[in-house]
Amino acid sequence: MKEISELQFAEDVRYAEDHEWVRMEGDTAVVGISDYAQDQLGDIVFVELPAEGDTFAQKDEFGTVESVKAVSELYMPIGGEILAVNENLEEHPELVNSAPYTDGWLIKVKPSDPAQYEALMDRDTYLEMLKGLQE
Amino acid sequence: MAAVAKPPRQCLFVTPGCLEYRRALALQRRIVDARWHGQLDRDVLLLLEHPAVFTLGRRGGRDNLGVSRDFLDQRGIAVVHVERGGDITYHGPGQIVGYPIITLRGSPLSVTDYVTALEEIMIRTAADFGVAAARDPRNRGVWVENCKLGSIGISIRRGISFHGFAFNVNTDLAPFGWINPCGLRGVGATSLERELGAPVCLEAAFDAVSVHLRQVLRMELAPTGIRELEERLQDRHDHL
Repeated sequence: MKEISELQFAEDVRYAEDHEWVRMEGDTAVVGISDYAQDQLGDIVFVELPAEGDTFAQKDEFGTVESVKAVSELYMPIGGEILAVNENLEEHPELVNSAPYTDGWLIKVKPSDPAQYEALMDRDTYLEMLKGLQE
Repeated sequence: MAAVAKPPRQCLFVTPGCLEYRRALALQRRIVDARWHGQLDRDVLLLLEHPAVFTLGRRGGRDNLGVSRDFLDQRGIAVVHVERGGDITYHGPGQIVGYPIITLRGSPLSVTDYVTALEEIMIRTAADFGVAAARDPRNRGVWVENCKLGSIGISIRRGISFHGFAFNVNTDLAPFGWINPCGLRGVGATSLERELGAPVCLEAAFDAVSVHLRQVLRMELAPTGIRELEERLQDRHDHL
């Protein structure tokens, strides 16, 4: 496990308590997990994602990531309809480890309530939360 | 491992003896739920045995099961799909199964640290009996050469880990021959008893596992009856 100072935290996303991030691209919310989360989980060997068209509320479980011997649930940082899932992860789940904010994205969502995005943490607030966890 | 300065985890310690797999699974899920909703204010450690059963992890397929359904039905052995990581495994009498239902959120213990800690508990227990077990970084669990002595499979829901580990003390190893354990080919299973070539007292192994769980996971264990635990969980259902 790395020190927080060794991890990357994208500036152009907002973060949820469960370590998912959201990046707004026009009206579409792109969702992934943070560098901290992937480091905690270890090598990811499988990602299970929902179907396009499924709708979830904020904090609903939308899928799982399996790292070695451990299955962890993923939660919607923002409610809405699934517009797309990252199909590359089927063959290359390790992208979630190697490029958590870019090629390792998980889902694209049409937000049901854009205010939920505004209420998520910015980079500095998220970093403060992580430092609190480590104490 | 980190967490040196933290106070130990307060943990209800429940040892129901031999508990049917699906009943234990339902109990685990209820504990996770109660823990998440704050109705249960501490972690729980279930330490038990299961009657014979095969379980398949989230991605496990029946292709690693080498015998027919009829064959298993005749022996009264069920096959259960579960949400844990890992592939197929066998549980049965003579195997110690540990389900620490603990919050990882807010703890400096990462998932990988936690899997390593579960291995450590089994390695130390084996050492107590004079058996040198080891890790294999490519295939988690504990091994004596290429035979598996202990397995791991966990699931994390809302920051709470459940499922756990299974350690063969004097288990009948024949059912492992009907599967590719953990989906691996060319490996076998072993037990403390097989490695020592002499009978091993299950209770002594049980005590050793408890000691190492307490030390490695820094737990303070409060023995609690299963009825008492179920009553605490029942209270919640009345309020729903």
